[in-house]
Amino acid sequence: MDIYSMKREEFLKWLKDENRRRGLSRAVSSYVSSKEKILARMPHINVIRKEARKIKENSMERIFELLKEAMDNIIDSHGNAYFAKNAEEAREIVLKLIGSNKMVIKSKSLVSEEIELNEFLEKYDNKVFETDLGEFIIQLRGEKPTHIINPSVHVPREEVAKTFSKIIGREVKSDIEELVKVAREYLRDKFFTADVGITGANVVAANTGTIFIIENEGNARFVSNAPPIHICITGMEKIVPTLEDAFKIVQVLPPYATAIPMSAYVSMITSPSRTADIEKTLVYGVHGPRELHVIFLDNGRTRMLSDSILKEALYCIRCGSCMYECPVYRIIGGAFGHNYFGGIGIIWSAFTAGEDKVAAAIDACTKCGRCKELCPLEIDVPKMVEYLKKKLVSMGYIAERHKEIRRNIIERGNPFGE
Amino acid sequence: MPILYWKGCMARFRTKKIANSIEELFSRMELDYIKLSNEGCCGSILYRTGQDAMEVSKQTMEKIRSVDVREVVTGCPGCFRTMSKDYESFEVKIYNISQFLLKFKDLLRENLREINVKVTYHDPCHLGRHMGIYEEPRQLIKLIPGIELVEFKHNRERALCCGYGGGLRSAYPEVSMEIAKSLLNEVPNDVEILITACPFCNYALNNSRIKVLDLSELLLMAWRD
Repeated sequence: MDIYSMKREEFLKWLKDENRRRGLSRAVSSYVSSKEKILARMPHINVIRKEARKIKENSMERIFELLKEAMDNIIDSHGNAYFAKNAEEAREIVLKLIGSNKMVIKSKSLVSEEIELNEFLEKYDNKVFETDLGEFIIQLRGEKPTHIINPSVHVPREEVAKTFSKIIGREVKSDIEELVKVAREYLRDKFFTADVGITGANVVAANTGTIFIIENEGNARFVSNAPPIHICITGMEKIVPTLEDAFKIVQVLPPYATAIPMSAYVSMITSPSRTADIEKTLVYGVHGPRELHVIFLDNGRTRMLSDSILKEALYCIRCGSCMYECPVYRIIGGAFGHNYFGGIGIIWSAFTAGEDKVAAAIDACTKCGRCKELCPLEIDVPKMVEYLKKKLVSMGYIAERHKEIRRNIIERGNPFGE
Repeated sequence: MPILYWKGCMARFRTKKIANSIEELFSRMELDYIKLSNEGCCGSILYRTGQDAMEVSKQTMEKIRSVDVREVVTGCPGCFRTMSKDYESFEVKIYNISQFLLKFKDLLRENLREINVKVTYHDPCHLGRHMGIYEEPRQLIKLIPGIELVEFKHNRERALCCGYGGGLRSAYPEVSMEIAKSLLNEVPNDVEILITACPFCNYALNNSRIKVLDLSELLLMAWRD
């Protein structure tokens, strides 16, 4: 079977899966109506999001300088900073820090999905627990995320109840509060017994080396604070020049990502936990971690930056709004992409996983342009998708049906061949 | 000098009723127009599916240049977008039919009779978001006395997509048709006619639940006998 037939099968599976469709459609309609209400209450966001766009543009122009500044400042504050050229290097750095037979807790990190970290750590006999509710659900179900903000967007409550019933060995009602309680009780002791906590970062301020973690559940606070070692893995494109710049991004994310004016928690982490309360002598590891390790990942981002059209994808702050709003994603969800989803996800997947991984999925984009209109940073996704598609065709990736249409046009002057 | 009416492939082969009603409208308005005997392809589908469109678009530009017109009017937003944005240095002025008809507002107003019907309008992606034409079709609809235009909850820049475009319909028809279905679910209550301004949308949205008409068909329907 060729990649197009395989992708079609995957799409049809989504189309026919009533549970997935139900989960997705409940999430989409709830998100859209809440977001519209919130945005109507926050007209000032239109100024901030335009500033955010400028910040991302300027940051990417001098990202290597900012990377050095951020790393230097993290090291100055007694943290450790690393640059990983690709997924393999990033995994090796983590492995050196963790070793084997450890208990690892994680908060949601798409970058860790990008480098397939869980599978890798488990190979070395580490126990890995996802603590973000959505990630926890799909980890238990042995699935992959299907949305960057809400990884289990395709799993309706009835299915979550079935999954949870299995792991705790008693019947759980498909009541959402009840389900949250099960997750809370199951994970509570893991936070305090884990050896290592792994998080991502939403934005990093170069001038202090501060990482920002935005969340609503409170799990990322535990993960980044309770274990003695905190490892943060983030894409190098997350770096902005200053704390002020970072705060702009922090303001744009919550309304677009989760339809709220501000997230429940924003953690700013600059160094390992420290005290000098006894004789002004500095000691690390008080109540928080004694070690902080920040890994900046390239993995195709530099290549993306060198492309004058596709570099715009690096401005994405990962709010996930375009996915909820995409007419295609609403139908085929996580099948529309690879490790990242939707039109922007096609671009990201092409660079971080390989062009071959998106060659069939890219044909699902209608280039309708709705994502561009609804993106807080006004990223021109349809333009990039069309450009990448052209590149893929020149590499030989083209569906038979599209070739036939071209033949019809050349020979008969119309796509139908009539 | 006559204008050139460019039909586009969809209206030539799949939604012929649109080409027919546009021509009928033009003749009732006594507009001087010509057509190409062998229109060919604008290249839109090639551009949108990443294929080489240079040769095809050059041929088409030459064909249009070879007839003595300064203005092209098309009822297909795909052709309109392609000739306006993708063609390099094409000096002929391209109009979408809604822009063009609006120049004859008074003539239309004199000839449109009252019809009491509730309609909604679907913004085609290539006309709206790609070309920024949102108001002209609505102004035309509102020229008809008695008509009530009810908007989709998400309209203009936020309009949904019919699912046909960009090569999706040919690559993954099942997904494309499911998207059309989800758009139809959003048609506001009590609307009797869904108005489109794109032959592709018209084809994709054709269904058994609600009447779907092209803007030109609606105007013709309201034309005094």
